[in-house]
Amino acid sequence: MELSTLDWLIMLGTIFGIVGYGIWKTRSVNNVKSFLLGDKDLKWWTIGLSIMATQASAITFLSTPGKAFQDGMGFAQFYFGMPIAMVIICVFFLPIYYRLNVYTAYEYLEKRFDLKTRMFTALLFLISRGLAAGITIFAPAIIMSSILGWPLEQTNLFIGVLVIIYTVAGGTKAVSVTQKQQMIIILTGMFIAAGVIIYKLPTDIQFTDALHISGKLDKLEIINFKFDLTEKYTIWTGLFAGVFLFLSYFGTDQSQVQRYLSGKSLKESRLGLIFNGIIKGPMQILVLFVGILVFIFFQFNAAPLHFNPGNVEAVYASENADEFKQLEKDHLVVFSQKQTAIREMLDNMDQNEEAALEQSIATVHELDAQEKILRDDARELISATDSNLDTEDGDYIFINFILNYMPIGLIGLLLAVIFSAAMSSTASELNALATTTMVDFYKRSFNPNKSDRHYLNMSRIFTVAWGCIALLFAMVASLFDNLIEAVNIIGSLFYGTILGIFLTAFFLKWVRGNAVFVAAIITETLIVCIYSFTDIAFLWLNLIGGVLVLIIASIIQLIIGGDSDQTKEAVV
Amino acid sequence: MTDSNKNNPQESPPPFLGTWDRLYKVILVIHFVLLVSFYLFFNYFS
Repeated sequence: MELSTLDWLIMLGTIFGIVGYGIWKTRSVNNVKSFLLGDKDLKWWTIGLSIMATQASAITFLSTPGKAFQDGMGFAQFYFGMPIAMVIICVFFLPIYYRLNVYTAYEYLEKRFDLKTRMFTALLFLISRGLAAGITIFAPAIIMSSILGWPLEQTNLFIGVLVIIYTVAGGTKAVSVTQKQQMIIILTGMFIAAGVIIYKLPTDIQFTDALHISGKLDKLEIINFKFDLTEKYTIWTGLFAGVFLFLSYFGTDQSQVQRYLSGKSLKESRLGLIFNGIIKGPMQILVLFVGILVFIFFQFNAAPLHFNPGNVEAVYASENADEFKQLEKDHLVVFSQKQTAIREMLDNMDQNEEAALEQSIATVHELDAQEKILRDDARELISATDSNLDTEDGDYIFINFILNYMPIGLIGLLLAVIFSAAMSSTASELNALATTTMVDFYKRSFNPNKSDRHYLNMSRIFTVAWGCIALLFAMVASLFDNLIEAVNIIGSLFYGTILGIFLTAFFLKWVRGNAVFVAAIITETLIVCIYSFTDIAFLWLNLIGGVLVLIIASIIQLIIGGDSDQTKEAVV
Repeated sequence: MTDSNKNNPQESPPPFLGTWDRLYKVILVIHFVLLVSFYLFFNYFS
């Protein structure tokens, strides 16, 4: 698909404008403290937006609406624990980081335990965040390249190189100031998108009708009270496992810790975290709701049978083309019947005819099930055409809608939203990976007595190096079932252990370095086994990992007996 | 939860509600109210 000149201008103008602003604004960065922590002059709203932008990658805006389109609002439960986690971090984590004046969260672990625990935890962070940074670049690149026909490698390079340029130039401060602009663009773009979709609904369909239709088709179930360890999104995973995930992500992941450590004061950092805790959940609900609106839109406008045009082209070029075209015809027939049934359902609702309403709801459900079967048949056909093709098309729904139904100009703005989101989270990741490599490894253990200029240059070199590693991973990565889940799964494999180490440090003051170090290794092994050999939903791994470290470290400490290292206790 | 204002004199109070403890409690109440509101809103249309 070809973009119009106006869309190109808006998209590139927004992207380069923000990058240029970031470089210009941070042109005076000339020492390592300024590069790694900014000038510690950020106000709470910049910190809050920066924290939100770090978490909200392009995947958030590509995958989440598709998730709502397919599965409804249930994914919102993932964020229910966030404000609770923010309050806990403000009370327990932040004051310690500020008091010890650390550059990275892991520095605290050496003061509290020992060097090996610090380095092990920092290493877990580097592995998990290094992998995630690759996906953060790769995810939007593969979708954009598939939909717009752009070459994948060049799209990867475009995102990666731009991010590397301004992150290398201005460090933490460049990341934060660009994220503020990026977040403003992102929120504006999503609000406009929601407004345009509502405007594009048929004139006889009111907004409340749209909500009734999605409700009757089970898309609005925002809370699932069922307690089932294998269910991914329930209120229990959100409120319990989710709290552990967010405690670990926001409290111990350097890509987030670095955002609020650059605050002007403890007060500004706290307010930034609280701002994130309150705004992030509703923002995710807005993004999910945009997906619901797209779903409603496609109840009155024929949707493609399969949303990934690359896959459709592959089937069209194969011997399965005729069979696929027949499925598309069947899909159009079902769509037409469903549209009629939905209008009947709305009429019955208006006239309060209970029996007729029940009947029409049943008909809509039946047609919806038929549509799903046709989509599954299309996926099977795609798979039969080429088993290497990924048949999941949820990540393509929103971008497909943007390109085919949004007005010229807004397409450019929404593409800028996706690129901005990709760049904002990648920048934080590269910045944090470089900082951890510099502070926790290079300066601490390999080259401790060099000049400030040397460390500044090395920080820049590490940023470029991590950028190249992320790009390399992006080039060889393959598409997961759902990209936003892939990032969260990678995080959940490590976050529980990391959080457990920090919780032990904060709350089990009698436990020492050796005990927590062995406990962390045992826990990480167990977490990988649990993920590989059981069906337990990945969010629970955060809670299990955290609790396992606490228990195992306590047992080991009881067995080996305590020492009386008062200097370590003093930093708790 | 401890009152940070009292424990550490270097920490300044929040811009509203006087103490951090009070602010945290209000945040959690707002969160609870938001959850219930979203639940009731979406449940109404289900």
